[in-house]
Amino acid sequence: MKKHDDFRYISKRVSLIKNVLQCIGCVTLLLAFIFFLNGSSSIWIVIFLLVLLLGGNIVWYEWIVKPFRWCETLSERILNGYVMKDSSEEDALYLSPMNKQQNQKMIGVLNGPHVVDLNKRQAQYLALQNQINPHFLYNTLESIRGEALIAGMDSVADMTEALAKFFRYTITKVENLVSVQEELDNCETYFLIQKYRFGDRIDLHVECDADDWNDIMNCKIPKLTLQPILENSIIHGTELKVGKSNLIIAFERTNDRLIIRISDDGVGMDEEKLAQLNGRLRNESSSMDYKKQNEKGGIALVNVNNRIHLIFGEEYGMHIYSIPDKGTDVEISVPLLMDEESIRSRGML
Amino acid sequence: MKNEILRMERVTYVDKGVTKLEDFNLQVYEGEILGFIPVNSHGLEELFSLFRTNMPLYDGYVYYGGEMVNSWRGPMRGQNRVCIIRARSCLVEGMTVAENIFVLRQGFRQEIIPSEMLRKQLEPFIQDVGIEIQADTYVEKLSTFERIVVEILRAVVMGQRLIILEEISTLISETKLNKLYEIIRYYADQGFSFIYINLHFEELQQICDRAVLFSNGRIQKVISKSEMDKGILDNYTEQYRDLVMHHWEERSGEKRHTKEIFRLENIVYGAIKKPLNVTISQGECVVVQCMDSISYRNTKSVLMEEIPVTKGKVWLDKKRGKMLYKDIAVVEEDPTSNMLFPELSYFDNLCLGLANRVPGVCYSRKIKMNIKQEYKEYIDEELYLKQIDELTEKQKYQLVFMRILLQKPKVIFCFQPFKGADLVHRMYIWEQLEFLLHHGIAVIIVSVNLQDPLSMVQRMFRISVKGIEELEKDEFQSASSTTEKDIEI
Repeated sequence: MKKHDDFRYISKRVSLIKNVLQCIGCVTLLLAFIFFLNGSSSIWIVIFLLVLLLGGNIVWYEWIVKPFRWCETLSERILNGYVMKDSSEEDALYLSPMNKQQNQKMIGVLNGPHVVDLNKRQAQYLALQNQINPHFLYNTLESIRGEALIAGMDSVADMTEALAKFFRYTITKVENLVSVQEELDNCETYFLIQKYRFGDRIDLHVECDADDWNDIMNCKIPKLTLQPILENSIIHGTELKVGKSNLIIAFERTNDRLIIRISDDGVGMDEEKLAQLNGRLRNESSSMDYKKQNEKGGIALVNVNNRIHLIFGEEYGMHIYSIPDKGTDVEISVPLLMDEESIRSRGML
Repeated sequence: MKNEILRMERVTYVDKGVTKLEDFNLQVYEGEILGFIPVNSHGLEELFSLFRTNMPLYDGYVYYGGEMVNSWRGPMRGQNRVCIIRARSCLVEGMTVAENIFVLRQGFRQEIIPSEMLRKQLEPFIQDVGIEIQADTYVEKLSTFERIVVEILRAVVMGQRLIILEEISTLISETKLNKLYEIIRYYADQGFSFIYINLHFEELQQICDRAVLFSNGRIQKVISKSEMDKGILDNYTEQYRDLVMHHWEERSGEKRHTKEIFRLENIVYGAIKKPLNVTISQGECVVVQCMDSISYRNTKSVLMEEIPVTKGKVWLDKKRGKMLYKDIAVVEEDPTSNMLFPELSYFDNLCLGLANRVPGVCYSRKIKMNIKQEYKEYIDEELYLKQIDELTEKQKYQLVFMRILLQKPKVIFCFQPFKGADLVHRMYIWEQLEFLLHHGIAVIIVSVNLQDPLSMVQRMFRISVKGIEELEKDEFQSASSTTEKDIEI
């Protein structure tokens, strides 16, 4: 019954016709060979038929089977959530002109500039759930700071200053790309605020090869890349841990990549959860399924990863490593953008 | 600034519908020695293949030397310059050391091999590594240590910037291992990168700059040097250590069996000219360490009946016997590959254990029913329907040990039982050996790597061409650090 059903697919029917033709070819070849043995046919006819059969099979495999399998692979990838962000013309195979238009439209929708903006706005929203008029907020915070200083409450004044600084960076700075130094400053500001809450329980360390420090600090990365991950490390990693925790932001560079690792020595996660989380980072189609995404929660990492993919391409992104009770590392890989020329060459200016 | 030699970015590899690697991320930098700890072997073989050959990926990207060589869209290059050194030699037998190193490389165009020139070319490399290897020696005559060094030299000459060493410490002695570490460090300083695969974290701490933990086809954690020093992976080996400690304590408190089951009396075989006298009791576990390649090969050959016993007597349960008798079973190295027959069914493979006792057992329905009934407790009924290829590694190990149990031997010789097995399987092998011991079967482990079996045994023998030495449990600690093994596997 199942076999019968299979022929509802055009691919199966085409395959059947090919097999029938192949059988006819083989029989013809066999007959020609028998005639040749009987002396009533020339060897050249046998050779010609043999070449025709082999050539036909090669052409069939190269022109039909291989591209069709590739087409199937691409469809399967889309179904499994692997979306082609930077699919080039030669990758694609289409059944018909209409099918081509349909696929291109779908990729266009997924890669559209509005998606970048949407993700950026989502990041801002995550950072500032209770955003109100920013100028009113800055002014208020400045007033609180002034009052605190007059009252001799230096810690309150410092905390208020840090909060104002954090908000100013998050809300007011509108560029897509910022320097690593700016991002790191924002992280330190955020950490300072958290330090008032956690006290000596948390410590932040920045690691970088001294020779590469200047180069790395001038590199450009998407705005709000580091802080959401640091926040995640504190909330999900160290907050649940008993005792002191260390957070490390480590920078490394290669010829063409900047690798940032944000680590904590917190509670970590088990293998299953880790696989799930990395699966979510890879499975970008989840961006098409907002309901499912919201149900799972913790969209900060996915958001940062999506923005990296959208800005730099799918060769870059984020990966998470973790073992229970030993901590979690989030590794970010982005292209090394040290000057305006390299940024321009990527079409980001 | 670091230079990347290899980068695997979110690689997902699917083989015959089974996901072998998923979201696999790995970077190897120039001049780095990266430790690799496989908690289990799922996807490990496929990973080895992917290191060298750019096979179609389901997802992800592979970069070699900074260039993309493979992606889910299709491979950009056929092979990567990666050398993998394993237990099995990759050198071409029948050719000399110099020929293996220079003649087989790409770009060697000469039709007449200039031996003198090759010898001169090899000289500086030999001086660099500081060991004495003759350029004209045929590779089959090399010891394992020399063979590994020659393979490294070949990789260096061929410009293979990434060298992968798998479970090397199971093959060579500690002294030779330290020498090998020096060679590895020397070439790492020259910009060559190494992936050092080993399950023993303590060993990786000695040599590696970083380590990664591999489990179920994914990298679970990248461990920096500082984290390695803190012993971050203690909890991963904890279960195994607990098992080892449990056996250690259990067997320490156990009263030694006194009933003699197996005795070698003035045995002489192969190159071992000094008579050996060994007595093994029922349910006892001992380890035999062969001190040189000749004694290992000869011991193995005499047990497999490939060479005869020249002189002496073998006593089995106080009766005169042969070396390979139905009451003696042998578990070969890598038994899941070497002892199972894929063309036979699961049940026929199991029944091979009974072949010496009941001829024609494979055709007797009644006996089959009895076996199934007897092994109901241990073997899942569904397994009988499976082909050998369909079994998991653990099920294959179970089949091997169940077959041994069916044979009901009095003594079992196990050749390197833990070699090549991942942590999960090591634990399972432990359990199976313990299970056999509980059935009163004496287990003799012939091993070159003392890390795993020592805690299980009550006595240890060292065999060399000079003779045999017996060590009691108290003397084991010093034994492992003074061994001089270098076994040709």
